[in-house]
Amino acid sequence: MAKINVRVILKFIGMLLCLEAILMLAPYIVALIYGEGDAMAFLLSIGITAITGGALFYFFRNARNEVGKRESYLIVTSIWLFFTLFGMLPFCFMPNSLSVADAFFETVSGLTTTGASIIPNVEALPHGILFWRSFTHLIGGMGIILLTVAILPMLNHQGGLILFNSEVTGISHEKLKPKIGETSKKLWYVYISLTAILCLLLCVGPMKPFDAICHAFSTMATGGFSTKQASLNHWHSAYIDYVITIFTFVAGINFALVYRAVTGDVKRLFSNEETKWYTVIVVGATVVVVAGLYVTGQNSSFEETVRVSLAQVVTVITSTGYTVGDYVAWGPFFTTIFLLLMFFGACAGSTCGGAKIDRLVVLAKNTRNEFYRVIHPNAILPVRVNGKAISHEVVSKILAFILVYVMVLIAGSIVLTALGLSIEEAFGSTLSCLSNIGPGAGATGPVGNYAFIPDIGKWTLSFIMLIGRLELFTVLILFTSYFWKNS
Amino acid sequence: MKIIIAGAGEVGTHLAKLLSREEQDIILIDNDEEKLRELDANYNLMTIVGNPTAFMTLKQAKVHQADLFIAVMPFETRNIMACTMASKLGAKKTLARVDNYEYLLPENKAFFDSLGVNELIYPEKLAAEEVITALRHTWTRNWFELCNGELIVLSVKLHDNAKILNKKLYEVTTADSQFHIAAIKRIHETIIPRGNDEIKVGDIAYFTTTPNHIGEIRQLAGESEAEIHKIMIMGGSRIAIRISSYAPDDMDIKLIECDRQKSYKLAERMHDVIIIQGDGRNVDLLKEEGIRDMDAFIALTDSSETNILACLTAKELGVQKTIAEVENLQFISTAERLNIGNIINKKLLAASRIFQLLLDEDSSNAKCLALSDAEVMELVAKENSKITKAPVKDLKLPSDLTIGGLVRNGHGMVVTGNTWIQPNDHVVIFCLDTALHKIDKLFN
Repeated sequence: MAKINVRVILKFIGMLLCLEAILMLAPYIVALIYGEGDAMAFLLSIGITAITGGALFYFFRNARNEVGKRESYLIVTSIWLFFTLFGMLPFCFMPNSLSVADAFFETVSGLTTTGASIIPNVEALPHGILFWRSFTHLIGGMGIILLTVAILPMLNHQGGLILFNSEVTGISHEKLKPKIGETSKKLWYVYISLTAILCLLLCVGPMKPFDAICHAFSTMATGGFSTKQASLNHWHSAYIDYVITIFTFVAGINFALVYRAVTGDVKRLFSNEETKWYTVIVVGATVVVVAGLYVTGQNSSFEETVRVSLAQVVTVITSTGYTVGDYVAWGPFFTTIFLLLMFFGACAGSTCGGAKIDRLVVLAKNTRNEFYRVIHPNAILPVRVNGKAISHEVVSKILAFILVYVMVLIAGSIVLTALGLSIEEAFGSTLSCLSNIGPGAGATGPVGNYAFIPDIGKWTLSFIMLIGRLELFTVLILFTSYFWKNS
Repeated sequence: MKIIIAGAGEVGTHLAKLLSREEQDIILIDNDEEKLRELDANYNLMTIVGNPTAFMTLKQAKVHQADLFIAVMPFETRNIMACTMASKLGAKKTLARVDNYEYLLPENKAFFDSLGVNELIYPEKLAAEEVITALRHTWTRNWFELCNGELIVLSVKLHDNAKILNKKLYEVTTADSQFHIAAIKRIHETIIPRGNDEIKVGDIAYFTTTPNHIGEIRQLAGESEAEIHKIMIMGGSRIAIRISSYAPDDMDIKLIECDRQKSYKLAERMHDVIIIQGDGRNVDLLKEEGIRDMDAFIALTDSSETNILACLTAKELGVQKTIAEVENLQFISTAERLNIGNIINKKLLAASRIFQLLLDEDSSNAKCLALSDAEVMELVAKENSKITKAPVKDLKLPSDLTIGGLVRNGHGMVVTGNTWIQPNDHVVIFCLDTALHKIDKLFN
């Protein structure tokens, strides 16, 4: 196999950093409007990012645009890494700046749409920084590469396609249009339109426009950063709870299906097996939580109990992680239910994290078949999803995926317990970061945050968030010896 | 342009890959999911698993928006059926691959139009035409006629009697010379030569020229025009039948076919041809049938390996011109290095024919003639494109591409440093694979 084309990787990084510098203009403008002393931080960050990116792009502008499998994995992982490294600059330069570990954690958490925060009092932050936190959700939600492929015509070729495949989540990646650039554009239209609609709806309610914009970003990207310390509970508004719950739910559906539904093919959305399972799981989990709250006598009025349960279930399964109810305070049974929801997350091709329901469906069916085969060893039983048989290779890939998922989960938990966290907190935080949710268990639960974790723990969790967002293999493949061997 | 290709066989796949690199929306339909998976994951195109003769699949592919529907499945009946359905559903133009020469006859054109099949291609016919061209121009390795023969691209292997050996290019060509050496293939690499490069023995040189100056090049290359009168063909394929009907009267054809039954059938169809039943790999048989006196040997069996070996044997036995059919695309570059004259491949021929049709349809397309690691393209210079801004010598062209010639208002001409390219000129470009992306910048 050919040597890795390092030049093209550096060229891409340069190009993407220029893009990031442009994107940072948005929070800079916000900072200028509010004038809270953070504008300088953004200006400095934009300068550094633009110069680095511009220099890289200039030096390697002649690199051949040949992207093979290895280059694509390296490009995707390093772009996410570099986006974070430069995206954390405003946190480092702002007044009362964060430490490097904290800034990195906060930025990864934003870009991977985890929404786990190390900032004890969010409301003390200047508006520019608050906006940047939510804006990183928007950028990372649909994927940095997807954004790039959509806006840069030079990526609308084979190389762009391979990059696209290493970033987009789920087992299979449905193309909406023959050209990858067009497909990405359509997905972004859906994403941006939904964000805009949500923003308008929130403005109509009791939210201020600034909060509405930030929450719209966080919600559609299923991130979870809020502009208020109490998250959604700050407003105590049924209207906001319902609107956000509905949009979070939509954000958990495959965007390709949403696009088809919007363009007239509604049937496909509702007949899709993954969407059906997603709905059933959300409804089922809500019923269990409501029943649990009644049995343990923690219920308020019926409407509020259902609303809070539903909102909390949806916010967790879609890996958003707003605070509506506090499942840690409700009791260990509820924590277990929510941790289970965290594990699988919502549909593939959405902005959600987790192992994805399509994998859950395949695994469940495969397991059922294995049981049947105990009695009928010669039965030919393909795993069928949406009426199509899934090949053995795909099933075994999913099994490997789940195994690696669990291994990363265990490894992360071991590191955190070694740092002195309780088992519950270590496991909860690792799972939460791996699935890009936000709230974990115990002190990192919905009303807590990650500030108390030692720096090593923060770096570990940052890494886990990145692995989780890029669905394990894209990042972990870089740690295998055969990836680097020229044979 | 939206192009739907039905059938992910070798022609379909090759076309889809080529077209997906350009500004085309390609949808590839096939029944076999296995064939499509790899393409879907690695190429900038969309694949649909399904039967191309099913309404459901065609509707899913939004065939009513298609500008071109190409059916290249293994069976002609299905291709015609698919094209009929596609055109009735609203595809603008359809093209079917057929296996029957009769369908191509002009009197049947109206019938196929009424079925909604606009174009038919018959790869065997293209291959036969290619063979005849090769037999007419025996001293060349390749012979392409561009823009209705106004411009000719040909390649010659240079032996030690060539007159241009060991000379710098600027000594060979003068300002008013009517040819251009656009590329040189030396052992494993292709070179785009500059004025200071020399030509060495064993090089294959690619010339562009106008039809009137072919003789000049032949003399420079030290080659003589050999008349071909006696041909031996091995393998009674459909290409062989086509060749026998296209061959001029002064060509005598001897055909070797190993299947007895088939030999009788062939004898029935080809009256002027002597049919010998036997194994063409048998040297004794070849000698017995007088291979030493033959002017040309053409190997057309189903097996590419057999064809290559048979041609090498024929060369050893003293046949001047050999032509081998090589259907495995992977073998072609290896086969080119061996001392076999011409190589024909039905799939590449079919694909480049379809490309040509696309060029007629929409002038923003490039037509490619792939030469292992280099390509020849015919492009139309657009208004205000970079290439029309200055004379060629001032354009600072990258070193891995060169302009071979151009056709302006239907007249071919060779491009020199002083030529100033005008909008709407058809320009012939030679480029290495590394230069493909630079071409876009020049022409758009």
